[in-house]
Formats: sequence, structure tokens, C-alpha cells
Amino acid sequence: MKRRQFGALATAALVMGGPLRALADETCQSPYMPKITGHEEYVYIWTLGVEGMGDGQDKMVTVDLRPGSETRGQVINSLSIGGRNEAHHAGFSADRRYLWAGGLDTNRIFIFDVHSDPANPVLHKTIDTFVKDADGPVGPHTFFALPGRMMITALSNDDDHGGRTALVEYTDEGDFVETHWMPTAENMRGAEAVDGAVADGFGYDVRALIRKNVMLTSSFTGWSNYMMDFGQMLGDSEAMKRFGSTIVQWDLHTRQPKKVFNVPGAPLEIRFPWGPNANYAFSTTALTSQLWLIHEDDAGEWQAKAVADIGDPTKIPLPVDISLAADDQTLWINTFLDGMTRLFDVSDPHHPKQIYEKKIASQVNMVSQSWDGNRIYFTSSLLANWDKKGADDQQYLKAFTWNGSELVPDFELDFYELQLGRAHLMRFGSSELYSA
Amino acid sequence: MSVFSRLKTPTLALIMVTVWSPGLLAEQSDPSVCPTSDGSWSERALERSLSTQLGLPTVPHPVDNPPTAEKITLGRKLFFDRRMSINGTMSCAMCHVPEQGFANWELQTSVGVEGRSVKRNAPTIINTGFLDVLFHDGRDMSLETQFIMPLISRNEMANPSVGRVVAYLQGQPEYQPLFDAAFGAPPSLDRMGKALGAYQRTLTTGGSAFDRWYYGGDKTALSDSQTRGFELFQVKADCASCHVISDQSALFTDQEFHNTGYGWQREQIRQNPSPTTRVQVAPNVFHEIDRAVVASVSAPPQADLGRYEVTEDPDDRWMFRTPALRNVAMTPPYMHDGALPDLRSVIEFYNQGGPDHVFKDPRIRPLDLKGQEIDDLEAFLQALTSPGLDCLAAEARINAPDNF
Repeated sequence: MKRRQFGALATAALVMGGPLRALADETCQSPYMPKITGHEEYVYIWTLGVEGMGDGQDKMVTVDLRPGSETRGQVINSLSIGGRNEAHHAGFSADRRYLWAGGLDTNRIFIFDVHSDPANPVLHKTIDTFVKDADGPVGPHTFFALPGRMMITALSNDDDHGGRTALVEYTDEGDFVETHWMPTAENMRGAEAVDGAVADGFGYDVRALIRKNVMLTSSFTGWSNYMMDFGQMLGDSEAMKRFGSTIVQWDLHTRQPKKVFNVPGAPLEIRFPWGPNANYAFSTTALTSQLWLIHEDDAGEWQAKAVADIGDPTKIPLPVDISLAADDQTLWINTFLDGMTRLFDVSDPHHPKQIYEKKIASQVNMVSQSWDGNRIYFTSSLLANWDKKGADDQQYLKAFTWNGSELVPDFELDFYELQLGRAHLMRFGSSELYSA
Repeated sequence: MSVFSRLKTPTLALIMVTVWSPGLLAEQSDPSVCPTSDGSWSERALERSLSTQLGLPTVPHPVDNPPTAEKITLGRKLFFDRRMSINGTMSCAMCHVPEQGFANWELQTSVGVEGRSVKRNAPTIINTGFLDVLFHDGRDMSLETQFIMPLISRNEMANPSVGRVVAYLQGQPEYQPLFDAAFGAPPSLDRMGKALGAYQRTLTTGGSAFDRWYYGGDKTALSDSQTRGFELFQVKADCASCHVISDQSALFTDQEFHNTGYGWQREQIRQNPSPTTRVQVAPNVFHEIDRAVVASVSAPPQADLGRYEVTEDPDDRWMFRTPALRNVAMTPPYMHDGALPDLRSVIEFYNQGGPDHVFKDPRIRPLDLKGQEIDDLEAFLQALTSPGLDCLAAEARINAPDNF
């Protein structure tokens, strides 16, 4: 979709009061969720506790982003939740009143009430029985909102801590619904392997394109790998054999796996565009450092292909989080090991081109942008035992303004200096959502 | 739900033909024909631990811990209970994975609570009931006591004390009847050990092709190559001087500690790492990465002095217990740190005679094995796989792991 198309769509949506009525929200969220109207007011940062630092616990940190606020750019709340759980990703419920946050290690899921007082989230409920509920999946990762439901990807299992895993569905109230195991070579569960793909049964992200009834999942690695020392793992030839090489296409409504694509090198984040005729998604492979396009062809069949390298793949820069602009024209891609962010022009999704790059710090993981694309936020932590060691272990929130040609520093917070821990996933909040 | 419909890990036979296959396909049984008749699984396991299997000695049960089906039932549950770790993530079975030969094919060295590094490879626990010394360094002598250290080691299950674990069990209604049935008494540390010991002594299996050939009189059980490999094992390669074969049975270990030079060699590599590391990023795709990049995300690697860490005798530096070789084809990767990926690599290490090291056992010397001889020796090691491994794994999965 071209920029002018997006503008027309946004204008129409404003008139209709449709899902695009907002003009200032983080992109890449579930399309079932309402958007923030106005400027994002808070950013919630799911933060890993560090042994010997502060209280050593994982915590949900709230930073004030309100323009003109005396505390803008400061931590205004920090809610410790007990233990170190390998805090990782989080996602809002479809009504955006609750933020679900997972622990990849302990399998605990923390549901925060973010609507009663958006400046001060409180712990509403903890699910301690994820593995038992779902009969084996370990490592709750992505929380993708469906109407009345939360679709959760897992990364591992309780048999061997390897990568075979499942999608797990809960109600918004936190009651277990169903487990959907990933297809494997031994049990394809009705799916078809495409282009020599070997269904590995691994999981990572989940995203959906509602109007096409398409859901995609990607594949990372099991508990043993994502929990272990990164350097040790790089030198462990057995461990390095155990990364995902697949993206699976599902029937969104029936949860039936349809196709298994061959996407070697651990495809991680998946992002669908917003455009009304944009029938594709992007993903990046962490180990092989490629940008992949999963797209519908002229015959109506979905396909997967690599469309660009990210940095120098032979140096394993390790692409991590990505953020697609709301107008679908540009894509931010972070690479952890070199601490770089890169902006790709993806106006032709089949031929992306890098148009900008900047070193954010010694390491960088997550990136979130405002709906208008003017404000870009970065955090640092990948996984507790994958983060850099010593002086390179910089832990931060850094806010920038994107002026169309470069990132201009706005503010930054040193999470170690503040005795908070490792800053990971960001989600935006606003009181305006709940004022009606 | 049946055991096999739940399993995320495929059975041994299935794993061996996947893209991540760790070794050559070895003889395996069909899990669908595992014994199911005459009583419960624990009664069959009890009978197995009291019987003598072809090629194995009789299981030596401690006088003060005679096995019962009730102890075995309890021991299996404890073995798979992830709540036995401080945060509910680790059980014995997370490192000793039934479908992976009760070892772990997916890691060179184990990973404990919060991802903490263990410096050694998880050994198989199949047939450990026959051993007089346990662990690579022989730090314990009894299955009744060896479990305590993993329970409280910070880089394994990380419990702050064994008392906390016992208290937890005492508070769990599901465990009360199991301890009552096994001991007529509530949970305690020694009763945990007895139950775990009784269970692990059921994880025995002999009857390999070698056993049928050597002890069973079946002259067709080994191929010509395997027969030649046996001769090499006994004479030219002299493996059997440490991996002992007796007239009536064979554990393939002298249960002694030796310095093969391997541990010393690994220490030299630790102190003087190569400037690059070869990293696999996808099937058949590798990149050489600068050491500095790897070091930037690495905790300092730990030294491993082997038996010395138990005795503090300088003469014991880099000595490790001779591993038993039964089912060795089913337990890659190899050596105490898992750094050798397959049997071929191990044979080549010994064929080259190990590094030039003053404390090295004199039996470790260049063997001058030629290509066909290496093939034959490897073929012989393949003949040490017992046909009952899949059934042991299936039996172990009779119930799902316990979780919070």
C-alpha cells in the first residue's frame, strides 16, 4: 500500500470510527485491539530481574511519555512480581484492559490491570499452571489477542526442554481452553510441507491476517538453548543444530495447520501490514540474517521467500525485533550483536532496500514505534544469559525522534543505574482508552 | 491420552532418522510390542531388576533397600517431578531424557536452573545400578545418596536445602499414600533416596547383539565387520583393558579413573582458544565467528580437573571414570564434556593416541588403525545397543511429568 492509500484509509476510518481511528499507537499489535487516540502516554517495560541488583525480581516498569509532563522520560512505577522468570514478551487482551506477560523459564503468566490506573498497573492475576493446563508446552512467549481469547505461543516442552511445542489458548478470564501442537515430520496434523520443509514442531511468534483467515507461526528453539549461556551455546555443536527452520500457515478460525514453509535459521518476529490489499507478512531469521516475505501469490496460494540480507549474514548480526510502520512503507530491524538498527524501505515488499542505519548501543533488542512513526523506542535485553557480559551489557530504554532522515535522541534511561534490571518488551498505554 | 500421543519427543527409533539424527540407526524395538501383561508396570520393572539379563550381572540391591513395586512407583514419580527444583523447571528427567538414552543428545554439557551452566555431559543412567562409583569424577558411591547434590547444586536444581524439598513432599497429599505404601512412613531424605535408587535399578537392559553372540551362543548375531571389530576391541586397540568384558557378563568398564589426555587437552583449548568459532546457523550452513564476538556473550568457561575435584590429589588431575559402553551408540555426544559428536570422533581420538601429556595413561598410544579397522570397531560399538531401550522409555513415560 502506498502512503497516499494509507492516508485515505486512515481518513475514512476516522470518519467511520473504525479500527484505524487512532493516529498515535504502536504498530504491529493484534488487529482486534482498539488503538490509542493521541500521543502514547506510557510505555510498560517488561523487565528481567538481575540477581544482586535491587530486589532481584522481574518487574513491570512504567515510564511516563506524556508531552509536557514533569515526569516525562522517567520511571513512574515499578511493580515487582516475585522471582526471576525470564520475563520476555507481553501482549494486551483484545479489549486492551489487561496486559499479559510471560516468563519463559518458570512458565508463569502475569496478567496486569492497565485500565484502572494506566499510570500504575497492578497485578490482576497470575497463572501458575500453564504447563499442567496445556499438558506439556513450556515457555509462554507471544500473547496475541483474539476476541475473548488469548493465543499464546510456547517455545519448548516438559519432556526434554527441546523445541517441540504448541499454541495454547486461554480465555480472557485466564481459563485454559485448548492446546494446538505444532506439526512435526512424524505428525503433520493435516499440514502440507512446502519446498522440502521438515516440520520441526518449533514455535515462536504468532500473527494473523483476519480477512484472509491466515495465521502464521514461526520457530525458535527450546528451553535448553534459550536459557543457556549464549557463548557456550555458540560453541556447542549439538545445541546449534536445534533451531527452528519453519514458518507454519494455519487456518485462523479452525486452528488447523495448512502449510509448513522452509525458512532456515530461526525465523522470529512476524508482522502483517495494515493495508487493505496487502496480503503478505515479513519475518526475519535470527541466525541466517535474512528478511523473509510470506505472501499470497496470484493463484491465491501462500509462499515464502527470502527478499533481503540484513547486515553481513556471515558475521551473524542476529536480527531480533522488527517494527513495521503503520503505512507499511518502512520496517525497522534491530540486530542484537552489533547493536544496530536498520531501516528498510519495504514499499515494494518483494524488493526491500536498506535506507538507513544507526548503532544504538553495544546491544539492542526491542523496537517499538508510535503510530505516526515519529517516535522510536529501543530496549536492550534479549535473554538473561544471551545478553552481553561486562561493560557491553548495557541495559536501557532509549527514545528517539525520527525526522524522516535520521534518529534524533530524545531521552534515555539506564536500567542498571536505576537498579531495575534488563529492559525487554515495550507496550504503550494511555488513559484515553478508558475514559469513555 | 496414551503415552505416545502425548510425547513431544519422538521415540529413539524415530529420532534417529530425523534431520538432526545424532548417529547411525541402531537396533531398536517396536514400542507397540513392549510387555504389557501380568500386573502393573512397576511390578514388571521389579521383576526386571531382580532377574539376570543376558550379558549383565545380577543387579546388586543394597541390603537395607530391597526393591518393591511401591518404591519403584514412588521413585519414578520423583524422577520426573519438575517441582523438585526451586522454580519448578528441572527434574532428573530433564537432563536424563528417556527417549535420548536417558542422557541428552541435544547438549554437550547440561543446563540447570535459570540456564546455569554445568560443565559436564549428562551420562546415561541406564545400567547405573551396576556401578560402584557414580558421576564422571566418582564423587558418590550410591544411588541412595547421589541425588542430594543435584537437588541443591546451584547450577542444577538449585534448592536452598534438602530440608525444603522434604518439607514440600510432606505437604503434598499426592505423595502421602505413595510414601506410606513404600515405607509405611512419611517423606524423608533417606526414603527419597531409597525410592530413587530402587527405580533407577530397574533401568537395566542387556541382550544386545553382542550379548547374544558372546554369551548366548548365537553365532549369527554379529556381522563379519562387528566380529572383526570385537577382535580389535580386545587386542590391537586394547579398549577392553579399561572397558572390561568378563566371562559371565560385561559392563564395559573397570570402574577406575584414568587420564587419557583428553581432559588435559580440553584444558589447553580452554586456556588458548582458537581465534574463531565455527557456528552452525542452519542445516548445512556454517560461519566462522571471531572469538571476540563469542567472548562478548560468554561467561568464563570453567576448568575441569576431573577426579582431582573429589580427592584433591594432584595425581588425579584430569582423570575420569571409565564410562560403560553399553548402548553407547544411543548416547551422543561423547566424553565428559560432550565435545566429540559421534563414535567415529572418539575412535579417531584414541587412534591418534591422545595429546602428548606427561600424566597420560601409557595405554593411550597411537593405535595405527586403518580405515576398515575403524569401520569395524565402530560397527562393534553399534552392536552394544540393547533392543529394550524404547520399552524402557515408554515405561518411564507411563505418566506425564509433574508440574506446578
